[in-house]
Amino acid sequence: MTASAEKSTMNRREFIALTAVATGELAAFGMSGWAQNKLELDPDSVTNTDYVTDVLVVGGGMAGLFAAVKAHDAGASTLIVSKGRLGSSGLTPFAKGFFTYDPAVESMSIDEFTNAISRSALGTNNPVYTRQLAEHSLARAKELREWGFFDQTLANRPFMVPIQERGIPLIERVVITHLIKENGKIAGAAGFRLDAEETITIVAKTIILCTGAGAFKPNGFPVCDLTHDGTVMAYQIGAKVTGKEWNDGHTTRSVNPAACYDNWGDMFNRIPSTNGVEVHHDLGVDLNYRAYVTGNPVSGGPGGGPVTEEVAGGPFVPEEFQRDFGPPSGGPPGEGDAPGGRPDRGGGPPPGEGGAPGGPPGGGMAGSTMGGASAGMAIHKAEGLVPVDDRCASNIPGLYAAGDALGSYMSGGIYTQIGSSLAGSAVQGAIAGEAAAEYAAQSKVPAIPDTRLKEIINDILAPLRREEGYGPAWVTQTLQGIMIPNFVLYIKRAAMLKAALAFVEELRDHHAPMLRAANMHELRLVFETRNMILSAEMKLRASLMRTESRCSHYRLDYPDLDEENWRAWINIFKGDDGSMQLEKQSFDSWPLQ
Amino acid sequence: MKLNAKSCTIIAALAVFIGLPLLIYALGDFPRRSVLKETISILTLLFFSLMLAQFFMARSNEPLLKLFKPKQIQNVHKVISYTAVGFILLHPFFIVLPRYFEGGVKPLDAFVTMITTFDSLGILLGIGAWVLLLLMTITAIFRIGLIKRLQVKYPVWRYFHGGLAVVFVILAVWHAIELGRHTDTAMSVYFITLPVIGVALLGRYYWRTIPHKTAKAPAIQGAKS
Amino acid sequence: MTIKSINGCIGCEECVKSCPCDVIRMDPDSKKAVIAFPADCQICHLCRMYCPVDAIEMSPEKSIPVITSWG
Ligand SMILES: Cc1cc2nc3c(=O)[nH]c(=O)nc-3n(C[C@H](O)[C@H](O)[C@H](O)COP(=O)(O)OP(=O)(O)OC[C@H]3O[C@@H](n4cnc5c(N)ncnc54)[C@H](O)[C@@H]3O)c2cc1C
Ligand code: SF4
Ligand code: SF4
Repeated sequence: MTASAEKSTMNRREFIALTAVATGELAAFGMSGWAQNKLELDPDSVTNTDYVTDVLVVGGGMAGLFAAVKAHDAGASTLIVSKGRLGSSGLTPFAKGFFTYDPAVESMSIDEFTNAISRSALGTNNPVYTRQLAEHSLARAKELREWGFFDQTLANRPFMVPIQERGIPLIERVVITHLIKENGKIAGAAGFRLDAEETITIVAKTIILCTGAGAFKPNGFPVCDLTHDGTVMAYQIGAKVTGKEWNDGHTTRSVNPAACYDNWGDMFNRIPSTNGVEVHHDLGVDLNYRAYVTGNPVSGGPGGGPVTEEVAGGPFVPEEFQRDFGPPSGGPPGEGDAPGGRPDRGGGPPPGEGGAPGGPPGGGMAGSTMGGASAGMAIHKAEGLVPVDDRCASNIPGLYAAGDALGSYMSGGIYTQIGSSLAGSAVQGAIAGEAAAEYAAQSKVPAIPDTRLKEIINDILAPLRREEGYGPAWVTQTLQGIMIPNFVLYIKRAAMLKAALAFVEELRDHHAPMLRAANMHELRLVFETRNMILSAEMKLRASLMRTESRCSHYRLDYPDLDEENWRAWINIFKGDDGSMQLEKQSFDSWPLQ
Repeated sequence: MKLNAKSCTIIAALAVFIGLPLLIYALGDFPRRSVLKETISILTLLFFSLMLAQFFMARSNEPLLKLFKPKQIQNVHKVISYTAVGFILLHPFFIVLPRYFEGGVKPLDAFVTMITTFDSLGILLGIGAWVLLLLMTITAIFRIGLIKRLQVKYPVWRYFHGGLAVVFVILAVWHAIELGRHTDTAMSVYFITLPVIGVALLGRYYWRTIPHKTAKAPAIQGAKS
Repeated sequence: MTIKSINGCIGCEECVKSCPCDVIRMDPDSKKAVIAFPADCQICHLCRMYCPVDAIEMSPEKSIPVITSWG
């Protein structure tokens, strides 16, 4: 099927893997640092295919699904491309709780709900997007139900129902690496196929980034295929991005920490269901703080037993949302947004509260809690492109984002409502789809000069042409070593952030440009590695700038909320000189355009 | 049981058709799975080897005919048909059955994907073998009526049944070697050896009977199967 | 080590498509799935769950060193 599929048999592979582990010789995994590029294909024989579309949807998760369906239904010719399979890539395959606001059963009005979220989020949420979530979630759930999403564990088949019905073209296993801007407007995108020696260029009137979140390929959270690609690509062409100082606080188990499936109990096996209003303040970094102060094993995590003693200080939780640190079994009903995710807080899976999934099973299991399961990922919907209106538009005409790729601050800098991440991606996808189709209807097919396309293709293939260079897996591991420690990423202070920034700048300047790739898989790793390096820089700079502690951002040197100076979000953009610039945008305002 | 020719034969048969595949399975380096899945695997293996045993529960196995009454052999052949053949006919469904009890692709979806993967040689062989096996079973059940209807002699029926069996076993064994989860080298050798002997017996028997068609009927009234 | 072995593969490519991390590829000769890049496996079991004949066996262990925040 592909030239890069390797020929050796399973057993040989297993053998190689085992000996590599045994001898600590990681070169067998392409983990070597600087080395010769053992090319498996001829970069000069790589072909290119071009496409033209009104609306290009990048990403095949919950947001991408709805963006494509609604853009198509609004009359635009629509194309979906995704790095992985529709419904089987990104975070969507693992989410099982879908929030719906059903006016028939909820006692809170939408206003009350939005206010409750704002109180829990300490003002960090954008109430326009919070309200939108509540208003549209039920309609999206209804459509998903018709497609069979709530009937089975795996999302691909139900997601394919509306796509096939409408005949929307879908190209899977394509890595988009470049967004193209011409005359100040979006003009297209480019990338390459994993399964063929082929680059892809797409001329598009408008693009909706549904590329999800990202992280540093951490262990214990199934986010290793996402590296903030959308955010970084958009940043490169001048979009503003936000939310980098927040941290998702998921933990994992100390025994086989990387085993996502095993550590999440039966979560991945479940059939999705809906749940109603339940406002919390969850999954920030309080467990990280506890570990920082008391060391390990951290009690309260899976297997760690109940939390007995309180730790002084640490992240501030508004009184209204403080929880009893109960024993592991029968813990609080559901947690944060992610399925109860928070394995601390006595996080046994809640007994099906509104169908909201629980977190990994609590106590009794072997081992203690490890931090950094989702290292590099912020709170869903807090990080991503800065919206300039309530319809998911970015500051670049024609460029939209939805779901985890949009910094809509729907829930704020902390998880505030169970199941809202999945529902939020559906709601925003639909809104962005319609907005993009409208924009496309009023614009002409953009022209991209051939020279520009050639330049981009050359840029894509450059790591294949490099005769020697750094292995992307090695650089990623180095980055992980710099960024993932608790005292860098989670429990922050200026000196440490600056130190880490120096390392990351080094990777940015002297490693990212010298990454090598021997095949299309490694080419993907190269781009992912570069994106992670830039994301790391963003995280460090934003964390340094926010001189206070709020929600999931915690500074040891600024442990308190600063209402006077920091009722503001941080936007990041590329300055005229190419350097990373940061600015404040006050809560409840839209960016100046 | 007294150790005589009969009981020795039975013990030997059990050892070859049940003991040996179990032994190969036990010694094989396969990942062990849930009780349900392992049970299905073991039963599939055993019933497959019992189905191969059908070649030996036939009139072509002359030494056996000297020991047992044709009726007895015929009965064993029938019992194996109803159980082993039945199970083997159903085994494509058993492969997806455990999905009812765990998260993952729905059993029916899995089944459809499986039987529509036409670029897989193993699947094509399997479908071919399955159809042949079904044909063999149905024609065997209705053989009396069929023989009457088509006005053919009994030996013609026998050639038909034996012939189908030979084609079937080639496809089935090839299928098992191509796709079988537990078909390592030892199991493959086993799966090849048994039918080779069986088909050889059949060949020898037909070779002997064909040229003498006009001569007197075979001395022994074999298993009518 | 992560995704561990594939036994009884019919070559339908479901796992290749369903793996978010591009760990599995088809062997062009045998037309069966092979574990091509085990180091990138995130142990999410999607491949196993999508496989129609349940051919994929998993292990909870990662094949490369695991970096966590503390521990
Ligand atoms: C274990 C787990 C449990 C969760 N549980 C819940 C829950 O119960 N309830 C809830 O509300 N939320 C939950 N979440 C969060 C929820 O899954 C996400 O917020 C939501 O699915 C995001 O959807 P999305 O479409 O925005 O992005 P994703 O689903 O992440 O999709 C991103 C898509 O973009 C594609 N892509 C990325 N980069 C590129 C590129 N360069 N080129 C082409 N394509 C690209 C990817 O292949 C993927 O298809 C959970 C998350 C996890 C990991
Ligand atoms: S477990 Fe997940 S990451 Fe690993 S090979 Fe399977 S699908 Fe890919
Ligand atoms: S899904 Fe299963 S049968 Fe299909 S190619 Fe992968 S391992 Fe083989």
